[in-house]
Amino acid sequence: MPIIEVKHLTKEYDLGAVTSIKDSLRHTLAKIQGKDTWQRERFKALDDVNFTIEEGEVVGIIGHNGAGKSTLLKHLANITKPTSGEVIVRGSIAPLIEVGAGVNPELTGRENIFLNGAILGIPKKVIASKLDEIIDFSELEQFIDTPVKRYSSGMTVKLGFSIATSMDADILIIDEVLAVGDLAFQRKCFDRMEHLIKKQGKTVLLVSHNIRQVARMCNRAILLGHGAITLDGDPDDVCNEFYEENNRQILKNIDDNKVQKSESEIIEIINVAIISESGKKIESIKSGESLRINVEFRTNKDIIKPEIVIGTHTTDFVYLTASTTELNTPPLEKLSVGEHSVTLEQESYPLKPGVYGIRVAIFDQHRNSLYSGENLEFFTVDKTANESRQPPLRLLCADYKWIMSN
Amino acid sequence: MINTTQNLFAYRELIAALAWKNIVVRYKQSYLGLLLAVLKPVMLMLIFTLVRSFIGIETDGTPYPILTFAALLPWIFFQESASEGVSSVTSNAALIKKIYFPREVFPITAMVTKLVELAVSFFILAGLMAYYQMMPTIYALWVPLIILYTMLIALTISFFGAAINVYYRDMSQLLPIALSLLMYGSPVIYPLSLVRQKLLDEQMAGEWSNQLYTLYTLNPLAGIIDSFQRVLLKGMAPDFNALLPGFILMSVLLPISYLFFKRAENWFADII
Repeated sequence: MPIIEVKHLTKEYDLGAVTSIKDSLRHTLAKIQGKDTWQRERFKALDDVNFTIEEGEVVGIIGHNGAGKSTLLKHLANITKPTSGEVIVRGSIAPLIEVGAGVNPELTGRENIFLNGAILGIPKKVIASKLDEIIDFSELEQFIDTPVKRYSSGMTVKLGFSIATSMDADILIIDEVLAVGDLAFQRKCFDRMEHLIKKQGKTVLLVSHNIRQVARMCNRAILLGHGAITLDGDPDDVCNEFYEENNRQILKNIDDNKVQKSESEIIEIINVAIISESGKKIESIKSGESLRINVEFRTNKDIIKPEIVIGTHTTDFVYLTASTTELNTPPLEKLSVGEHSVTLEQESYPLKPGVYGIRVAIFDQHRNSLYSGENLEFFTVDKTANESRQPPLRLLCADYKWIMSN
Repeated sequence: MINTTQNLFAYRELIAALAWKNIVVRYKQSYLGLLLAVLKPVMLMLIFTLVRSFIGIETDGTPYPILTFAALLPWIFFQESASEGVSSVTSNAALIKKIYFPREVFPITAMVTKLVELAVSFFILAGLMAYYQMMPTIYALWVPLIILYTMLIALTISFFGAAINVYYRDMSQLLPIALSLLMYGSPVIYPLSLVRQKLLDEQMAGEWSNQLYTLYTLNPLAGIIDSFQRVLLKGMAPDFNALLPGFILMSVLLPISYLFFKRAENWFADII
């Protein structure tokens, strides 16, 4: 039996402010008289959402702002009730919806541990027995008897996270909490979450904008868009779809790609394309094949000792490669006024299948940027025949061989 | 009702922790601490005693200061439990939006918090009783029951008011005003014995006198304050005739108020 069942879940909110007593009275009167003309505009935060989650699944929920992620979690945590449909949860739930919701600034760290424990439904005895562990994890030994109002915001969050994860529930709901604290603490939280997931076999729902985190921690992902499930399945596929959706959104937002470019009058980019060996424009290459990026541009002024950099990046702007003409022998001496075309050839582009973007930057002799732009063109790295047998969590497909010795 | 009691038991640690938080937060960084809680009844007692020296209120033998202090104890407990109860849900909006537990925990916690302050006031009452050389009798055992009854009354108002307050904040503003008016309709400044004497014995309002007295005792606080004074100061059993009308009223209203609260609860997180 699934531990969570969501059937035809729909949630509508009234838009606008709460009505005045006068309006509600008039509304009620109209209702009594049988002529219900008065209707407030309603907003569907969730629209007929259906899914089930089995025990032990780690499900990432991703989507744009306002896609309904938090509303969905609120229903699972029983904080609000659906307009129609049904949510069945078979087990206890630890809601980590914004850690530190119950942290009171006047109380000391230690007092807050007990208070938050009670709010999360952890028996006092359990908290008392875990007290040292919680304090130890929070790294706040020195400050534990100081009122929380004197804590830094990072310290408060550390405290909240330490308390919340000490709860022994069947289902953990995590909303964006790992994006807090310094890097070392984030790492620690991450490890603790992973421990909870992998070792204790808990059912976890993770809402995050950090898509890499979702891809790494989850064994299933649900993509929400405008209150409905767009895609539900393998985290890699879902995350890729989300990236592509994001890109379409980004491209739509930028009028003629202008936002991500900083250009001067001196350089105009005419065309960026991936080309084949024979110079024909192509859209995709196979993983490990050679990559040729052709850039056509116009210079409106003579440029002495210019530098051209062409690089690739993932759709969430992890810079992957960057190649400069400075390392060419010989380097460029001069670009005279007129149109130019350069092609960067990379013998092997060993990246895992996915969608990648191209960036271009051109500098003058003093390293002043004349042009720089990202997402100028996209290309797809296709799967090779071996792809299905490759482990999924990686970025590179560098060649390798094994040496076995007995 | 059984369900509620079970819930109460299941969430006793939470209620205790939240009440403890309320008290700690309220009196932290204050020098007088819990003594501030008894300041209000003591000051009111002094003012009432002063006023009485001008207008004269018959008290059938009991010294007026202690009589009015014994009236102020349950009254202030009721008044503050109800006021705090009504705003308890809205003042915990952050929790309501993040975590689920039965929302009646909030009004109940507000009341438990006031219970602690009431306990402190009892020390003052004990001091006054010692001063007037009054010994508590066996009837003092009624006190817990009377307090419990007062709590139910306060909850009746809290549940209904707290739910309304989520939608219309007027509630938490209007209720304190209404309650301070109700104080004059309750035997706080004057004893119930005076009302009984005027209406039942002297038939002051003519043929309506008996009905008027029943109407007066429909206010549960009339019976409560009177009983509280009787069992503690006079060594007598409570006057059940004075308690009955109010008790009936509460028995009808409490379930309605609670059901109203539970129905509205589903939308708290959306509206608050």
